[in-house]
Amino acid sequence: MERLSNIGSARELYRKADDDELVRASLSGDKLAFSEIVNRYRKMVARLVKGMLEDSVYAEDIGQEVFVKLYNALPGFRGEAKLSTYIQKIAVNLTLNEIKRRKRFFSTFARTGDDEMYEYEFVDSSNEEKREAKELVDKALKSLDPKFRVVVVMRMLQGYSTKETAEILDLPIGTVLSRLSRAQKQLKDILEKL
Amino acid sequence: MEHSEIKKLIIDSLDADFDTAEFPEKLELEGIGYDFNEDFEEKVFKTIFSEKVLSIRDNEFISNLSLLVGRVAITGIAAIIILLISIFITEGGSFSINSLVGLGDVYDEGLICLLGGL
Repeated sequence: MERLSNIGSARELYRKADDDELVRASLSGDKLAFSEIVNRYRKMVARLVKGMLEDSVYAEDIGQEVFVKLYNALPGFRGEAKLSTYIQKIAVNLTLNEIKRRKRFFSTFARTGDDEMYEYEFVDSSNEEKREAKELVDKALKSLDPKFRVVVVMRMLQGYSTKETAEILDLPIGTVLSRLSRAQKQLKDILEKL
Repeated sequence: MEHSEIKKLIIDSLDADFDTAEFPEKLELEGIGYDFNEDFEEKVFKTIFSEKVLSIRDNEFISNLSLLVGRVAITGIAAIIILLISIFITEGGSFSINSLVGLGDVYDEGLICLLGGL
């Protein structure tokens, strides 16, 4: 009982801790500290991965891989960038690799089976209107090419500025701006039809 | 929020100057939220620590193998030293290439007969 209350108070303590403290505690083998990192950033990773992979069943696996990679990479994390940026970079790389892998797989084996692999789950959509709204966003994102989709997800679902988007994607700001403008034109056409 | 409003929000969010900092929360209120399953964290930890167990097992295997190779090498070196000492003793305190390869007592004629099958 006492142990449980200790865990509870440790969780409470970590909830208030900043990222650097959590990283240091995780590196010393504290599982609760890493658990707090997972809880703090799981929604951020979910928005990126599920936004990019159209809420597919693979998104869950990629999300897990992001945190496993982060855990293994923590000893090399020097704190030069924010932890959230570091996690985003891992998530972007893994997601884009997964898209490439799936593109190769479906173009070789089962082009028509692509859509059957998606499992739509409507988190927090308590009514029909909300469900439809999410479906609308998912459909719009799905219709974009991955290189445009990723900038749209970063701006729209993650709330990053164009500068931050460029930094995370390792792209010149001009490229991000031109992709945003082209994605905006494409989305206008797509959303008119939906 | 109406669909037309959501569509407008999506389009506006892509303007370079548009401040999207509070956009994720706004969308989440409209039901456009994303999260993983409830057992997500548990699965992450399972993967991390099963990988660790595997790597510990791999390390154990490699250290056992190198220990075994080391022992075999030491035994081999000991056998070679004993062989050299025994050759040294039987040859009466001298070493030669012939005695090492076992040709000490073979004469040229005998070797020719041996090789020629005579």
